Amino acid sequence: MSTKPKDGTDIAAGLLFMAIAAFFGWQGLGLEMGTSTRMGPGYFPMVLSGLLFLLGAVILVRAFGRPDDEPFGRVAWRGIAFILPAPIFFGLTVRGLGFVPALFITTLIAAQASLRMRPLPALILAVVVTILSTLIFSYGLGLPFRRFGPWLPL
Amino acid sequence: MITRRILLGTALALGLAGTAAAAFPDRSITLVIPFAAGGSTDVVGRIVAERMSKELGQQVVVQNVGGAGGSLGAQQVAKADPDGYTILMGTVATHALNPLILKQKPYDPVADFAPVSLLVLVPNVLAVHPDVPAQTVQELIDLAKKEPLAYASSGNGTPLHLSGELFKAMAGVQIDHIPYKGSGPALTDVLGNQVPIIFDNLPSASGHISSGKLRALGVTTAERAPSFPDVPAIAETLPGYETYSWNALFAPAGTPSDAIEALAAAAQATMADPAVAERMAEFSATIVASTPEELAQHVKAEMAKWEPVVQDANVSMD
Amino acid sequence: MDLLSNLAMGFGVASSLANLAFCLIGVLLGTLIGVLPGIGATATIAMLLPITFQLEPVSSLIMLAGIYYGAQYGGSTTAILINMPGESSSAVTAIDGYQMARQGRAGTALAVAALGSFFAGSVATFLVAIFAPPLTAIALQFGAAEYFSLMVMGLVMSVALAHGSVLKALAMVVLGLLLGMVGTDVYTGAPRFTMGMTQFADGLNFVAVAVGVFGIAEILRNLEDEHDRQVMTKNITRLFPSREEFRQMIGPVLRGTGVGSVLGILPGGGAILAAFASYTVEKKLSKHPEEFGKGALAGVAGPESANNAGAQTSFIPLLTLGIPANPVMALMIGAMIIQGIVPGPNVVSEQPQLFWGIIASMWIGNLMLVVLNLPLIGLWVKLLTVPYFVLFPIIMAMCSIGVYSVNSNPYDLFAVAFFGLLGYVMSKLRCEPAPLLLGFVLGPLLEENLRRAMILSRGDPTTFVTRPISAGLLVLSLAILVLVFLPQIRKRRDEVFTESDA
Repeated sequence: MSTKPKDGTDIAAGLLFMAIAAFFGWQGLGLEMGTSTRMGPGYFPMVLSGLLFLLGAVILVRAFGRPDDEPFGRVAWRGIAFILPAPIFFGLTVRGLGFVPALFITTLIAAQASLRMRPLPALILAVVVTILSTLIFSYGLGLPFRRFGPWLPL
Repeated sequence: MITRRILLGTALALGLAGTAAAAFPDRSITLVIPFAAGGSTDVVGRIVAERMSKELGQQVVVQNVGGAGGSLGAQQVAKADPDGYTILMGTVATHALNPLILKQKPYDPVADFAPVSLLVLVPNVLAVHPDVPAQTVQELIDLAKKEPLAYASSGNGTPLHLSGELFKAMAGVQIDHIPYKGSGPALTDVLGNQVPIIFDNLPSASGHISSGKLRALGVTTAERAPSFPDVPAIAETLPGYETYSWNALFAPAGTPSDAIEALAAAAQATMADPAVAERMAEFSATIVASTPEELAQHVKAEMAKWEPVVQDANVSMD
Repeated sequence: MDLLSNLAMGFGVASSLANLAFCLIGVLLGTLIGVLPGIGATATIAMLLPITFQLEPVSSLIMLAGIYYGAQYGGSTTAILINMPGESSSAVTAIDGYQMARQGRAGTALAVAALGSFFAGSVATFLVAIFAPPLTAIALQFGAAEYFSLMVMGLVMSVALAHGSVLKALAMVVLGLLLGMVGTDVYTGAPRFTMGMTQFADGLNFVAVAVGVFGIAEILRNLEDEHDRQVMTKNITRLFPSREEFRQMIGPVLRGTGVGSVLGILPGGGAILAAFASYTVEKKLSKHPEEFGKGALAGVAGPESANNAGAQTSFIPLLTLGIPANPVMALMIGAMIIQGIVPGPNVVSEQPQLFWGIIASMWIGNLMLVVLNLPLIGLWVKLLTVPYFVLFPIIMAMCSIGVYSVNSNPYDLFAVAFFGLLGYVMSKLRCEPAPLLLGFVLGPLLEENLRRAMILSRGDPTTFVTRPISAGLLVLSLAILVLVFLPQIRKRRDEVFTESDA
């Protein structure tokens, strides 16, 4: 078996599509199907989930008997660990901490994603970004952000 | 003209007196509009915010927190610090319909809010494409009994949808409801005669009515609208039929009474300004500018009025 | 010559010193804010709207319109430079524009986009002036059945967006359609796939999805091998297109203008199809379809022109009917009402100064944009020489602000992170994001119109073929399907044969 060529990437893709389809199908079970005249909220999603599952299965089946033409490559673990939390942190704190501290820490978190970024330049970058953004968005455009939020003892 | 000026002067003085006595506000106030920018609530909100900033001597900043038919914005204000610096532009949707329709109540329209002032009432209108043979409300009812019809509204569970459902219930007819995402697309399909009937806000339909692209059969208020004196009220055919949209200011429950009074005084002075009144008249809105107590009564009355309609129409959302 | 005198009056209004200034400010602000990553035209207008409310009606609408196309232009710039589209239309530009930038041809891509947009904008402006009323009559012929068939055509086209496996592209389209279902069902009010979060009741935010699957995924890809991979080529050859490249762009620009002008008129989603449709046409007509997705000039020139033409002609339903074709137009309606103008068919006759003034200012604004942006290209390209590890934290900060500013909804930011991860995983699995995004945009429209058409026809599915416009669109879709798939099938058969021979 193992000597037969297979496209590992497409196997993963096919399985992922099937899993997503199964998830949507399962979530959509509780929705009313309705009739074809008055389609319920569940009708269209169910058709789509079935279609996606089918496409995933076809991708999976076709992956066997064909070599993988492009390897999976490295994964940006450090990037995932620092880039993705940055917007989440901003969303969680912009109301509580306020615009200025939330943006400062967000930039600082994002900057950690690169190995090349040293602590001091990261700090300087975060300060500059925060000052400029506050001037542009808060003072210049008058966006209704609180600069310093209620969580701070001010 | 003179009386107007005196009125304005008194109102201004009242507003200023209110602010001076309470030392409220000493920083900018956020007015949360629970709908996207550009809609009719947003328009009323921005006109009011601009004038109220002058009354209060502090900037009233508009923040649009749209989503879930107004529930998200209302919820945000319900949970905000009760200091008077975060207020809501509430509507018939946020303070009567959503609480009745939603199975999960994100907030309590009475317990979670301190009423400030009922600003305006906005009529809705029943209109048809000019090719529809019915010339009056009665003829439309007769037509609906003979052949299947459909009406467009700006969405499921909106005041316009329920105006339509109330109409169907009182007239004893069956008309299919076709919801759209907002007034604009609903209007387009009625203008193109894809759907023959529409229930819409009078302000958004008024341009099409006066140009003859739509024929207004009746307004939903008990009396005729001053901006369209020739259009009868639906109540003239179906006695007791009355619906309208409204806009009112609310603060979070527990807001100090001096802040509420200052806000209410500023709101009343704003609505007394002839320039604002003129804008509202162009918008077909009737100015109320009530006291906080009157608004509290109004919310209770509206909830009582809509409850049976919502139940009969069997509209509910999770 | 009514038209000429009307246009002359329009230019008279628009070229008053004050209005010229407001147009310039609008275009400038729109470009500057729109060029920030993750911030498209809608977000820009939402931010800048309050500024315009204090002005005279004509000036305020001229400025708003300026912000709109300025932002759209700025959005294309970020799509090309850092693969971060802020709008569905610039998602198409990102496909080939970003590849051109990686090859050191950022300047050429930007110049092509600017010139194509200007040409398309000028043509479309005159179309608006001449044909507004008759075109509106055609647009009103479009009911639910017609829109459904139009969306089907859009989906068929979307397959052409992919340069890899057709099968995976189809799966991505369907996934996009499913993601588009998230939110409250229009017909029953039932929440779908919201996981009980009311914050997603209005569906997933487009900007959050687009920034995630395109921009964030790209940042993650670039962070994979920081030590041995240059993100951008440093040796940028030319800033401006060569004579040969000019010749190459003429066809795509002309066709893009045509496609965009036609689709832009349809209220309710025509304009979003413009860029996608033009891309399909160009890929189909090209002698080198294999270049698409790897930096094809026509893949930037066509969609950018279509996009701008569509943006101009989408003013037609706004001005003649008072009905907004997209969220930006809805904001402009709001601005009109605040100014005491009742939007509707009467605007043309009752407010001729306003109507013709705006039309004239559109052309002036487009001229300003091109004059403003050609010199700026040098600056934008220089921006790419900033080390990447300095650039991406700034990008992250800007898109956090931009996404949040649209609705003040923190959940939109959580969606950015989620779709960043999804986009990254998908790109590792060699699935392309553009078809997903198109599916996401078209999904709700497709379902809404299908269900509406079925209710209106009382359950009779033949409504799609008995209505002439709808039937025509379906036949066209079928033709496209055959055109797209025939070569693929033939090629695959060849592949299969060679494989079995070996």
